[in-house]
Parts: sequence; C-alpha cells; structure tokens
Amino acid sequence: MDMHLERSCKNNVNKGQRKPVLAVKDFSFSYENLNKPLFHQLSFELYERETTLLMGPSGSGKSSLALCLNGLYPEAVEGTSSGSIFFRGKNIRDFHKGEINQKIGIVFQDPDSQFCMLTVEDELAFTLENRKIPNAEMPKRISAVLQQIGMDGFQKRKIHELSGGQKQKIALASVLLLEPELLILDEPTANLDPVSRLEFIRLIRSMQRQFRITVFIIEHQINDWFEIADRVLVMGSNGRIIADGEVNTVFSENKNRLREEGVFLPQQFDDCLNHQNSKSIPTSFDKVIISIENLSFKRNEQMILKNMNLEIRHGEFVAIAGENGAGKSTLLQLMAGLLKPTNGEIYFQDVFLHHWNEKELRKRIGFVFQNPEHQFITDTVYDEITFGMKLNEESEEKIKSTANQLMQQFHLIKHRHSNPFSLSGGEKRRLSVATMLDETPDILFFDEPTSGQDAQTMEELMNIIEKLRENGTSIVFVTHDMDIVDQVDRVIVLHQQKIIYDGIPDNLWGRKEILKKARLCLPYRMKSHDEGVPVYDLVY
Amino acid sequence: MISSINPSIKAIAVLIPGIMLGFTFDVFTPLLYFIFILIVTFTMSDIPISKWLKFFSPFLIVAASFAWMTILYANQTFSYGKVLFTIWGLEITEGSVITGCSLALRSLCFVSLSLLFALTTDSTKFMLSLMQQCKVPPKITYGILAGYRFLPSFREEMEILKQAHRIRGVHRTKGIKGKLQQLKRYSIPLLASGIRKAERVAIAMESKGFTGERERTHFHQLTVQKKDWMFLALLIGGLAVIYITSYYLGYLNIFGKQF
Repeated sequence: MDMHLERSCKNNVNKGQRKPVLAVKDFSFSYENLNKPLFHQLSFELYERETTLLMGPSGSGKSSLALCLNGLYPEAVEGTSSGSIFFRGKNIRDFHKGEINQKIGIVFQDPDSQFCMLTVEDELAFTLENRKIPNAEMPKRISAVLQQIGMDGFQKRKIHELSGGQKQKIALASVLLLEPELLILDEPTANLDPVSRLEFIRLIRSMQRQFRITVFIIEHQINDWFEIADRVLVMGSNGRIIADGEVNTVFSENKNRLREEGVFLPQQFDDCLNHQNSKSIPTSFDKVIISIENLSFKRNEQMILKNMNLEIRHGEFVAIAGENGAGKSTLLQLMAGLLKPTNGEIYFQDVFLHHWNEKELRKRIGFVFQNPEHQFITDTVYDEITFGMKLNEESEEKIKSTANQLMQQFHLIKHRHSNPFSLSGGEKRRLSVATMLDETPDILFFDEPTSGQDAQTMEELMNIIEKLRENGTSIVFVTHDMDIVDQVDRVIVLHQQKIIYDGIPDNLWGRKEILKKARLCLPYRMKSHDEGVPVYDLVY
Repeated sequence: MISSINPSIKAIAVLIPGIMLGFTFDVFTPLLYFIFILIVTFTMSDIPISKWLKFFSPFLIVAASFAWMTILYANQTFSYGKVLFTIWGLEITEGSVITGCSLALRSLCFVSLSLLFALTTDSTKFMLSLMQQCKVPPKITYGILAGYRFLPSFREEMEILKQAHRIRGVHRTKGIKGKLQQLKRYSIPLLASGIRKAERVAIAMESKGFTGERERTHFHQLTVQKKDWMFLALLIGGLAVIYITSYYLGYLNIFGKQF
C-alpha cells in the first residue's frame, strides 16, 4: 500500500489540469462480427484520482467493456475488437501478460464466482503469489489489508460461509493487494442487502480517499453511488456514450434521452416516479388465502424459521424483507408447497397445503424464481408458454389464443420461435412471468425479481403486477429493494427465525430499531428529505 | 500422523503397493497386506473407525460380487485343481475360488489404501504439493481447485431446478420419453450455468494477475522431510516383507505362476 501513499504525496494535481490514467480511442468490440458491435467507436478518458460512474441499460455491454479495459477481452472470448486503449499513454496490448491486470484491478458482480480458494487467507495469498511476493512477507500484508477493510481476524474463515457483503469486501481486499492504479467495480453491490450495499460503498469511499486511487464504477442503479462519483458516463443501447459530464449537470441536461434508454435516473431528477399509483387499489382485504400456524423449519439441524404465524389475504401485495440468510426464500418456498414444514401447518384456501392435489395446486399457485433460466424447460418461447396448457390438456384453440395474447402482452411475439436461453435478461424475466399466467393464479410468488434488472424491465414488471392485482391475484415479493417495499400494501420483516414487523411500509420507516436489526434502509424518497446529512446516518 | 505427510509422497506411497498388488493372484499376500494397511490406518491416523466403516462397507459388497463373478467365469489358467461343486452346469474348481478370493482381497486393499489417502489429505494441500513437488503446471492445479469449490453450489442449483420444474408441473409428464426429456431439461441449464461460472472464475483469476506461469511464490511452502520418506519406505517395505514371507511359505503367485 505504501506505493499509493507515495504516489499521492508526489502528485498534487488539481482539477484544472486533469491527467488521464486510461484513454479509450475509437474502441469497438463484438462477440461475433464487427457488423453487430456490442459497443461502437467508444472514446473516453478516465482521469487520475477521479471517481467515474458508467451507467447504461442491461445488455449494453458494460461488463464486457470492463474486461476490455484490462486486456482480458477479446483474448478470453471469441470476440473481435478495433481501436485502442492506452494506460498512461502505453497501449495495453504492449504490456506483458499479467502486468496490466495488476495495474487495473476489478471487483466483479457475483460474490460467488470470483474466488478460487477455500479460505480467506488462501484467496488473498493467491494474489500475492501471482505478484511473486516472498512468502515471509505475506501474513503481514494479508493482515494489513484485512484491517483496512475492517475484517481482521477473518484469515482462517471459509469464504463460502461469509455473507454476500463480506465476500465482496474480500474480493476488494484481494484486488487492493495488487496495489492497482485504477480500480474497476462492476456492479459490486447488485447482490447485497441494503445495509451491506451502503457499507461497501462507504468502504470504497474511504479507500478512495486514503489511497487517492482512480475508481471506475459500472452500475445501473446510481442512487447510492451518487455521493462518491465525480463524473458520470452513460452508454446507450446503441453502444455509444450518450452523456458525459459532472454528476449534477448530466441528468438535468439529458433527462428525456436517458429515460428513453431505460437508464435509472437518480430519484431527485426523476419526477416520473409516482409512489402512490400502486396504492390506488382498494386496501380492504378480508378473505384469507394462505394461513400459517406455528410454522417451524429446520435445514441440516439448523433452525431457519421458528413458530411463525402469518396470514395472507386475497388481492394483497406483500413484500418480505430481511437480511441475507434470514429465511425469506425458505418462507416463500414453504408457502408454495415446495418445502415441507418441520412443524406447524400451512393452509391454502382453508385446506391443508399438502392435502391439495399437486396438479390443482400448481394451477393456483405461481412462482417466479430469481434466475429465470431455471424455469425454462422447452426449446422455444411458444412451447414454453403453452407447456402448462398442454399438460392440462386444454383445447388447441384455447392454447393458441392464450399463447398469442400472452406473447403480445409481454412483447415476445417476435421471439416466438427463439430458444428461451438466447433471450436478453429482461426478455427472460418477462417470459418466466408469462409462463405462470396461462391460468390466472390465485397467488403469485416472486423471489428477488428485480435484482440485476434495468429500469425499463422493472417498470414493465410492475405494470404486469398491477394488471394481475386488478384480477384479484395476491402477490408476494421477496426483495432487497426498499423502493419496491415502499409501494406494497404490507411488508413482513424477518429476523432471526421470526417476524419482527408486519404492517404497512409507511409505519416501518419510522421504526429505526427494526430497520437496524434487519439491516434494511429507508427508501430513497425518505433519504432525500434531509439534504446535507450524510446518507449513512440515515440508514439507522 | 499420516495427515501431516507430504501429499505427493503419500500419493506415491499408496499408488506403488496398489499397482504391485495387482500382479499377485494368491490369497495370502493381499490378505496380509490388507491387515497391514488396517494396522497403519488405525495406529497412525485419527480417522474414526465409524467414519472409515461408512466409506468402506459398500465396497465389501462390490468385492464379494467381483469374487463371485471370477469364481464362476475363471479362465483356464486359473481353473486348476479339483472340482469342488457344480452350479448351473458350471464346474467350480479350487483354483477359481482362490483367484476369486484373491481378487476380492486385492480390491479391498485398493479401497483401504485409497481411504487412507483420501481421509487424511486436504485437497488444497494436495494440489499445492502437486504443483510444488511434482511440477504440475499451476494452470491445471488452480483449475481443479476452483472447480472443487463449485461442487456444493451444483447441488444447490440442482435443488432449485427441481423446484422450478415442479412449479411448471414437469413431474406430471409420463413415460420413459418424458423422463429422458426431463434429464435433458436439467442438464442444459446446469451446464449453461456451470460454463458461465467457470468463465467468471477464470476471468477473476486472470484479473488478479494469474498467468499460469510456473514461477510464483508460495504462501504454503510444502516440503519433503525425513518422515515423508519414512512413510513411503514403510508402505513399500511392508509390501516387500509380505512378498518375501509369502514366497518362503510357498503361497506367492504372480500372474498365475506359482513360486
């Protein structure tokens, strides 16, 4: 780490004469051929010690760009590129193998697939071994970097037993051990709970201040990063930079263009967002659809849920929140009859859940999984949508008309013969919902439907849910997104095997002790009321 | 303690007797060596007997069925001696029974040797040792280590897939054709996510400066010490002593040739 300090002492560049660390010139990249480039003739520069944020809709190639910047692409894939990238004036192709990767460090999105060793210390040592640091020096450096990220003492812990937030911190630590001059963060918080996300962002800010490191953040959700970014770049769906400027000006100047592109606007610029519209549906629910009595669930002798009582009513829109590992997904799977309770009973429409005929139950209960790919079972979009109806031996005519109507509604008509796996992220999500709607279900469960989705996909999803609710379908969401929680009728907060809050969201926002316990934060509209107060003080 | 023996040396110490035993066709030699391995296992390691039995017991059945098959279908070289009894028109000779039992005992030796290695060796250390002592390229060893990390996540993913398909009513499809299709439905998403994860890890490793070149420093420096050579000598020496004993007692039979 000494290198950074040294560098920051020598260099006292002020904002007037910005020094580019990385320069991208007319850079195009494509997976198959250059006629259909993922991004096209990109030119931009990243400046010393600045924090730049890159935004863009999902599928616009942001993550591929990150890998091009440190020279891993196009070699690692069958891709072609044109144009050049310069690091401190030297073309990255002229660096030795492995050299540029040490100067430009990347933290990736998925906490589960960026480690190759089992324990924290082995993983951190891996970086040092690559740098050929003598092994006598390793323990000292490992403990120093763990101290910096606030995780000293975790040396011997197994990585897969850590929480998502801790994993991302370890990923950051192993990159910091490279002593990089440029740090790239590729949606590093997409899979974290709200407080872990803010903690990670805070950590980045303090690292950036301490080492004066140049930071390049790739994100499609800007809200939480707003405070630490100096500059924003926006990539359009056409693969070009469509906006570039200081944080405060870029959104006000390009608002309409950005919204068309499906980019998340920071909420103080987004006057379109209307929190009240989903609450227009009458809020008197009296018929109970699912009731849970004294439910307990154990997995491998470990108690996940304990003595839980809960009722969900017809037409209700319910969100289940809580930190990672609190048992949210388990509760959802229990209610859908996918898992059997260890103790207690679940009633669905006044009948024991496990007394239901499986076929009948699946018609009435829909479930949308976090990863839409898991639900695909056929080779074309059309077959996928008609699969359930064919099983139920519906008439040919009914199958055709329902399928056409669903494909129309979910904008999948032109993909009717495509393989579900070849669709884009947003299309996959839409298809996975469409397959649940051949019969209007009485209740529809969603497990983290919004993680990794761009603004446009999310808006579409919320519109679909709106329509379903008009038909009386109950909706249950498991989500980390507090802005979504803000729009539901009722929120259930899980913490240590129990429900610690059950009520309307507006009352939850006042209960700081509950938010703190369950590692939740306030929705954005509440945070922005107090200008000038650091966002982190408002977490609790 | 066997767990502290250098993994590469341990692998060699287990492999050589395993191969050598393959040539002996009498009952006495593998039986003695099997007893020898049991003594080594339970005096020099802290493997609990119950755990060892849990892994070992299924192989008893496998070994017994090997023996039975050999007894029934021994070829001419081995079906010497007088006929003991006939079953289904097949003549069971003394020679074929001996060969069958020998095969069973040899397979039990392999199993117990393998358990001796597997239950006392840390997979990470084994890979590191292969890299440091046997000069296996880091590309291969780190590749295996990264793959090893994925095994538990595969099982989890399989569970989710089963649930997701249940929601879609897949298990309602009938017949063998339906079952085959179901297999295909599981394998494609599993494969897709497996490839994607492997790609991500490879990229993450490279982005941490991993190039695959052999020249690197090692956090866990694994060395070969005197006790490692002693362990190797013990397992191979034990075999030699048993061979000699068996020779003098007139039991030794190598490739059907009696000495």
